[in-house]
Amino acid sequence: MAIPDLGRSTRPAPLDVDPRPEPGSFRDPANRIFHAGDDVLRALDRTAAAHWRALAASSFFPPLLAAGKVCGTEELPPGSPLRDLPTRPASSDWATVLRHERVPFVSHPYEWSFAMVRDAALLHLEILRAAMSAGFTTKDGSAYNLQWRGTDPIFIDVGSFIPLRDGEPWAGYRQFCQTLLYPLMLGAHLGLAFQPWLRAQIDGIDPEQMGPLFRGTRRLLPGVLTHVHLHGSVQRRSAATSTADVRAQLRDAGYTRELALATVRGLEKLVRRLDHQPPSTHWVDYQQTCGYSGDDRAGKERFVAAALAVADRRRLVLDLGANDGRYARLAARHADYVVAVEQDPAVVDRLYRTLRGEGERRVLPLVMDLADPSPGGGWRGVERASFAARASADTVLALALVHHLAIGRNVPLPEVVACLAGFAAPGGRLVVEFVHPDDPMAARLLANKPDGLFPDYRRDAFEALLAGHGTVEERLELPSGTRTLYRVAFS
Amino acid sequence: MNHLAYLDAGSGSLIVQAVVGGIAGVAVAAKLYWRRLVSRFRRQPTDQS
Repeated sequence: MAIPDLGRSTRPAPLDVDPRPEPGSFRDPANRIFHAGDDVLRALDRTAAAHWRALAASSFFPPLLAAGKVCGTEELPPGSPLRDLPTRPASSDWATVLRHERVPFVSHPYEWSFAMVRDAALLHLEILRAAMSAGFTTKDGSAYNLQWRGTDPIFIDVGSFIPLRDGEPWAGYRQFCQTLLYPLMLGAHLGLAFQPWLRAQIDGIDPEQMGPLFRGTRRLLPGVLTHVHLHGSVQRRSAATSTADVRAQLRDAGYTRELALATVRGLEKLVRRLDHQPPSTHWVDYQQTCGYSGDDRAGKERFVAAALAVADRRRLVLDLGANDGRYARLAARHADYVVAVEQDPAVVDRLYRTLRGEGERRVLPLVMDLADPSPGGGWRGVERASFAARASADTVLALALVHHLAIGRNVPLPEVVACLAGFAAPGGRLVVEFVHPDDPMAARLLANKPDGLFPDYRRDAFEALLAGHGTVEERLELPSGTRTLYRVAFS
Repeated sequence: MNHLAYLDAGSGSLIVQAVVGGIAGVAVAAKLYWRRLVSRFRRQPTDQS
């Protein structure tokens, strides 16, 4: 059960770094994730270790692993230094430790587009169906069970698999509704962006919150009557009955594994029906309308490619304001992994579908407004890491972005530069484009603001700021004469 | 109590899964509610005596 090629050696490294517990993995006490250097480790208690061994010997799990649908996992041999992980107070030592494939960039469901959430939901259900058919189930059903390898969703919560007890419905159904199904319903049925809901509530959207949005004839939309209204109503009426009593009553009434499987199949059918293309915005055609000449574009591509080619480390490129992904694709030819950040959900959705169609597996598109990036979330604000805490790239691309932040969003120019420089790892580089105030796109933004509001939005001021953070290695004024590109190296 | 379950699955969320599982599931849910109803009537005389 080997971990797929992760682009690094498989040395049994001595434990030279103190293992750090992952702040997002405390909910299930049976297992805990630790980071030790580049290694991602999962410590299991005795029961969880027995389940892992049953899982590894099952008929359904190894094929999912081989297909890359579940993150690469192997059990560390006894005596491995990596097995020495801190235990919780008043509990016995961990029974065993698994090593997982490192997810190239951890993202959160509120950074995914509609089609991404849909594909993630379908993978979760596919895995659950395979598990149930083989006598297993998953303890939970959260969107946080999934991550991405480019445009391929992967199931990461290997500790979630437990033996299925006959006559038991899926314990993860409510979580599945709240973090995957309801967000899809908001998009497909109402045309609403679900990202703000998921970002605001770590447990997702409650049936009680969904109900008022689906009154009148909207009750008849696919899945609404049962998964929203009936779910909410039975939940209210059953609040006084314990889940243990309900499980026993369901078993007595003849609930079977076949019924549980039928429910999963029903959910899969429903999710497949919930298709939706977020409505087009002006950003969708931005590349056509943003006023570049062919010479500008060619010059810019050459400059970006050269900057990526000189990088010493090429593990992660951040493309900020990625739009149609032209430069993210270009970066993927030079780097292991590219995270393409774009604020418009419609643009990201289109980019995701296109990349997936092309088979591009090294670009992860994410929905995020850089003037309002993902904050830390959940318990103490660290259970879900903020974007700033995750973003540390070998090369940062900020093309046609600065004027949107500085003029469009009034962010002081020194702040913009400091923020972009902060996304680069030590020794990393920033490739940034400055759109001069007299460029048609900048002029359009400036026209919406009072005269004289941005006295320091000047090329010389921008260059001085760059020099304050690093060394400007290259500079290119594009043929149109109103845009300049810079390559800045940081020590 | 299922000690494997760290998550509160929600009593209502468990019952509603029977209903969304098709006709056979609806029958299971109906049986569950029928048994609850019957047991309530059966229990009452005992409670009063």
